[in-house]
Amino acid sequence: MSLETFWKSPTDLKFPLLSKEAKEKEFIDGVTDDFNPNELKGLSRRKFLALTAATLAVSTVACTDYHDKGEIIPYNKKPENVIPGIANYYASTCTGCSNHCGILIKTREGRPIKIDGNPDDPITKGKICAIGQASILNLYDPERYRKPRKRNGTNFSDIKWQEAFNELLSKVKLANNTGSEIAIITPKIESPSQKRLFELFLQKYPTTKIYSYDTMTDYPRRRASELCFLTPEPPVADISKAKVIVALESNFLGNEGNFVKNIAQFTENRNIDNPENFNRLYAIEGIMTITGANADIRIPLNPTKLLDLVLSLISDLLNVKQIANGTVYEKVKNYNLEKFAKENNLETKQLKYLLRDLVENYGKAVVIAGDKMPVDLHIAVNILNDLIGARQENNESILIHDFETLLTPLSTLNDFEELIQKVKSGKISVLINFDTNPAFDLSSMEFESLMRKIPFTATMTDSETETALASNLIFPINHNFESWGDYKVSNNTYTTQQPVIEPLYGTYQKEDILLGILNEKLDKNSYHKFVKETWSTQIFPQSNSGVNFNEFWTSVLHDGVYQLPSSKTSFPKINYDAINSITQQSKSGYTLTLKNSYNTANGKYQNNGWLLELPHPISKITWDNYAVVSERTAHKLGLESNKMIQIKANGKLMEIPIFILPGTVDDHFSIEIGFGRRAAGTIGKEVGFDAFPITTLKQMFEGYLMNLEVIPLPNKEYKLATTVEHHSLNDNFTKDLAKKRHIIQDGILADFIAGKEIVEHTHDAKSIVPEIEYNGVKWAMVIDMNKCVGCNACVVACNVENNIPIIGKDQVQRGREMQWIRIDTYYTGNQDNPEVANQPMLCQHCDHAPCENVCPVVATTHSPDGLNQMVYNRCVGTRYCSNNCPYKVRRFNFYDYRDQFANHYQKADSLALMMNPEVTVRSRGVMEKCTFCIQRISEAKASAIAEGRQVRGTDVKTACQEACPASAIKFGSSNEPDSELYYWRNHKLGYHVLEELNVKPNVTYIARLRNKVETKI
Amino acid sequence: MKAQYDYTIEPEVIENSPTLAQINDVIAAPMEAPPTKGWKIALAISSTMLLIGAISLGFSFYYGTGLWGNNQPVGWAFPIVNFVFWVGIGHAGTLISAILFLFRQKWRTGIARFAEAMTIFAVMTAGIFPLIHTGRPWLAGYLFPLPNQHGLWVNFTSPLLWDVFAVSTYFTVSLVFWYVGLIPDFAMLRDRTKEKVKKFFYSLLSLGWRHSNRHWNHYEMLYLVLAGFATPLVLSVHTIVSFDFAVSILPGWHTTIFPPYFVAGAVFSGFAMVQNVLIILRKIFKMEHIITIDTLEKMNKVLLATGMMVGYAYGMEFFIAWYSGNPLESFVFVNRAFGNYAWAYWIMVTCNVVIPQLFWIRKLRRNLVVMFIVGVFVNVGMWFERFVITVTSLSRDFLPSSWDYYKPTLTDFGILIGSFGLFFTLVILFIKFAPVVSISEVKGVLKSSQPHHH
Repeated sequence: MSLETFWKSPTDLKFPLLSKEAKEKEFIDGVTDDFNPNELKGLSRRKFLALTAATLAVSTVACTDYHDKGEIIPYNKKPENVIPGIANYYASTCTGCSNHCGILIKTREGRPIKIDGNPDDPITKGKICAIGQASILNLYDPERYRKPRKRNGTNFSDIKWQEAFNELLSKVKLANNTGSEIAIITPKIESPSQKRLFELFLQKYPTTKIYSYDTMTDYPRRRASELCFLTPEPPVADISKAKVIVALESNFLGNEGNFVKNIAQFTENRNIDNPENFNRLYAIEGIMTITGANADIRIPLNPTKLLDLVLSLISDLLNVKQIANGTVYEKVKNYNLEKFAKENNLETKQLKYLLRDLVENYGKAVVIAGDKMPVDLHIAVNILNDLIGARQENNESILIHDFETLLTPLSTLNDFEELIQKVKSGKISVLINFDTNPAFDLSSMEFESLMRKIPFTATMTDSETETALASNLIFPINHNFESWGDYKVSNNTYTTQQPVIEPLYGTYQKEDILLGILNEKLDKNSYHKFVKETWSTQIFPQSNSGVNFNEFWTSVLHDGVYQLPSSKTSFPKINYDAINSITQQSKSGYTLTLKNSYNTANGKYQNNGWLLELPHPISKITWDNYAVVSERTAHKLGLESNKMIQIKANGKLMEIPIFILPGTVDDHFSIEIGFGRRAAGTIGKEVGFDAFPITTLKQMFEGYLMNLEVIPLPNKEYKLATTVEHHSLNDNFTKDLAKKRHIIQDGILADFIAGKEIVEHTHDAKSIVPEIEYNGVKWAMVIDMNKCVGCNACVVACNVENNIPIIGKDQVQRGREMQWIRIDTYYTGNQDNPEVANQPMLCQHCDHAPCENVCPVVATTHSPDGLNQMVYNRCVGTRYCSNNCPYKVRRFNFYDYRDQFANHYQKADSLALMMNPEVTVRSRGVMEKCTFCIQRISEAKASAIAEGRQVRGTDVKTACQEACPASAIKFGSSNEPDSELYYWRNHKLGYHVLEELNVKPNVTYIARLRNKVETKI
Repeated sequence: MKAQYDYTIEPEVIENSPTLAQINDVIAAPMEAPPTKGWKIALAISSTMLLIGAISLGFSFYYGTGLWGNNQPVGWAFPIVNFVFWVGIGHAGTLISAILFLFRQKWRTGIARFAEAMTIFAVMTAGIFPLIHTGRPWLAGYLFPLPNQHGLWVNFTSPLLWDVFAVSTYFTVSLVFWYVGLIPDFAMLRDRTKEKVKKFFYSLLSLGWRHSNRHWNHYEMLYLVLAGFATPLVLSVHTIVSFDFAVSILPGWHTTIFPPYFVAGAVFSGFAMVQNVLIILRKIFKMEHIITIDTLEKMNKVLLATGMMVGYAYGMEFFIAWYSGNPLESFVFVNRAFGNYAWAYWIMVTCNVVIPQLFWIRKLRRNLVVMFIVGVFVNVGMWFERFVITVTSLSRDFLPSSWDYYKPTLTDFGILIGSFGLFFTLVILFIKFAPVVSISEVKGVLKSSQPHHH
């Protein structure tokens, strides 16, 4: 059949052609006339569909909450060596204080996030102090100066760099041309490049005078060294060579000298596996310090009596050892220990033991006097040290003259007194503050009012200071981590400093500015070149390295440390005549010592919240300073802690709250300097009380030990923010609980050597639930309390590593401090001379964690490798876990602690850069605690997987372990029988805190052995 | 000489032999009259207190729990103390309604309805606290075992979870029990009222009650079963609440005496609160013949008995603290009495142990002023008991380095005031819109309703 015979309708059948036509035209005539796709303003069906699909895709993508999309630019050309997610480490030097410890700066994605010690530094061997750890906060301080500022009236306004520089240059040239002085106030100059810079500057501008000072320096010891050894550089002690150390009001383990090195050297001989070679530390001091807390024998004594003590020791020593020394004998013939003991109500026996130890350990004993003690005491101590063989002309000597010359001498009292005269007579027309703050710490010479008399003052600083606010021109400078530099740290050792980030705010190094004045042209990279030149001309030639300079320089920068092949030490003979310059000055009435601060580098870091919030190692007070006083004296004055007193010293007044601390001698006060700054940003506002104004300039050079008048102000109270409850040791109810509850277990070294049991195990019960098997790695920690001195470096390291917020003084007063690890300091015995124990306390990661079963939402769980985990996003914040934790190591975010200060300080963008990207930043209402640095464990696991092996306990170092200068913290897996951790965990002297609760903690504490002379003092 | 008290004849439960109609009139009167000035003033005061609480809570949600005094180590303070306090108060109602019903104590009829209402309001007030005291209350849903795509359940071994179940069960059962009891009364009101709105609501609430025998049959059976349900709750709910403390390891919390001690304490404070409010109620509503002095006296006897149990528990805790030889345990208790919270401890002991002893004297037991004052002191004392238990044990626990003092803030007080505000607002609204006495039950114990010869 043909096609034409098919039909669909009658019409089809009747009129086939007509319907065929109709079929070809799909729509009825007219319907589609208006529909012309080409006239649809460009929107065809195809286009429409395409657009719809695109919109859908775009909107889907845009609907995600990924607000950084479009802002994160992946590396098109990846910078060399930068792999996102992998950290780079750069060697540099810390400039927190003048110890200049070598550091390694950990950077992530091109910005520094953590500082640790440089293991290649021969002096500090990879450790730094709490201040060094926390100094990273200053880099990212939201209140750093960004632009130069010029004063008009009482306000400052931003000006351009070139303008500021030109003004300074013109003022300097004018001063030079008119013969008037250009005064530059600098810190201690220990950098060869800085020294060269100043030398060149002095050549070009001969009217310049450099005034360098450092409040943390031991001026009295230096003066005594001048008198005794004819060099201002005193010998440096290597404590590890000493078996007997006598600290006379010296806090060499706490904050004097290079205490990081001291701690490491001291704890070298506190090894419980080598008990025969334990050292013995005597501390004779007026208030409790870290050194006193770690002493085997502590004798409380008013520091004004120390001179008499030393003279008595010398006298008895001359007698016992039959030494003939006429000069010395003349001075000390009327002294002896028995008389001294009687006059001062001490046990003669104790002093005799001290003498015996000094005599029996010739060449292995050293006496150290406090940095701020009078010159006279240091002279006497120098002589005593020579008599006991602490300083000998051989390599075994404890005291070695390791520093030939300070690169630029520190200014003397005379220099400053001349400065005052010159200002008053108008001879100084330009003052440049080279990152110093004399308006604050030289207030003993009323520096601020002096500044106002000088026609033109410029200050180079990175953030607000009193000096900056009193200047005409402020130059914002680079932070340490944005700078180049070099430092001489011993006779033959240099460290280098290199920037790890472009200056955040386009600032210059302070040296760049001076170089600019020198070259009359401000150039960003000038100091970098200058440092290289110094090395190529001064140090490289001595190096015998065999490579060209560039290779040498690169390798030095890489290591961060360079030691010249030969070391020259000297041995000046002692000038015994110096003893005749000692003038006995007895002080009756109330006495006062001023001491370096533990945490603020004498005021420099008063804008660093982490440091201010660190509990003071002895008093556990945060934020402020106070006057330490004994209980008896306070009650005599009718006062309790937190009440205020008015002090009059050197004719000047100040008010300060008191705080009663055990171990303080009566009628004696002690205040830390470096608080009470008037202009230190949001954080540093109204913190503490400034003691510099009641001192005289002379005292900075000759020691801070003075008489004072005290007026009690019982109606004035200042609530100090302390993290613990303080109880008098005279209160029987609360006394000695740490010992009674076996939280602290310690013993006498002699007993241990004799084989007696030191540690008591209080737990023997069996568990009623089946034990969980841990077959792989099981993380555990051991803390050796023989080594922990309580320096707080671990606390700050943990803060930096884990993004711990700063909560502010009022929150600490409420009792909400957020530090995941804390140092518990327990006092036992009597109020006048207690025994002290330091115990770092952190999450114990208990096998039977009491916190885990009480959380209603399963926010805290146990991992198969033995960690107690905290799941932040599940936590609703019932705080039951914290209640059930017997160690109270959990921390709750009662507020959004990242928004705790005025101006949303902690939410600033720059601080966001500082956060460790591997650690969650916790929100309000969430519980947190130590995680055993799970981010580091995860990193180690990832590396192990990449290497195709199992992770090992030794692969991970927690932040606290890394930071501890004494290496008191050990971490690893308790399932590795051949590991160091396993050994310590199962040591005879190891115990757990609160064993009887059967929570099975995984932190073992090694009982402390005290090297006492007899079993009971 | 006054005749000796004759205990052979049981005193009438309802005095003055009112008729059934009179009972209706008296009890319905407060609902039918326009709001009195006194009522308005009372509501204004309690609403203000509620407002203070709402504002304090609002600030707490916005700024965080840091507005309270809680710290480390005292993670639980006012909110938990308030929670236990209010849950405790609720127990009196259930005891009166359910347990006394099962014991066939007729004197409960005058007070059962009101007591049960107070239970519900107390549990409502208490139920707020576990939700708001968390750091992230908007995630309170995590506390409930809701199926989710993570396959994540809640932690059934945690006492706080048991609380969630116990309190919600308690609330549900009490509500149902109370409502079922109200059905005949709403029906009576529905039949009485002339106003259209009220008629609508009462009709709705009375579920079509026809006063028929069948209805009464079902009602009595259901009521008995619900009473049976509610009875164990009196003991179990506060036992669970006590487990919040007893299941932890903290000395001062971890003792086996807590369940009976807490239950006794709950009944103690609950009866004091019920008795206090009833004294006021009977006066203003002229129901002295329904809520008789005899009833109040019986309540006071229960008060004395439970007070003695609480006192015994205090003594036994001290004894065991010494007898156990556990220094941590003995420290906690000596610290409570002589440490830095001794002031709270002695308030607690005076109010809970010493003052209720007045009830040994019959005359004082029957004196309205005395019993009101004693009731107030008992509640103060019981609040302080929870405070002492919670705060002192946390404040000075195992490691002396963690010790710290707790001080409440204004926000804490605001929330406490607010809880009283909520409770009393609900009570005041209740007395306006529902019958405060169980009409049908009272009628059941009237002399005139018993079979008798005329």
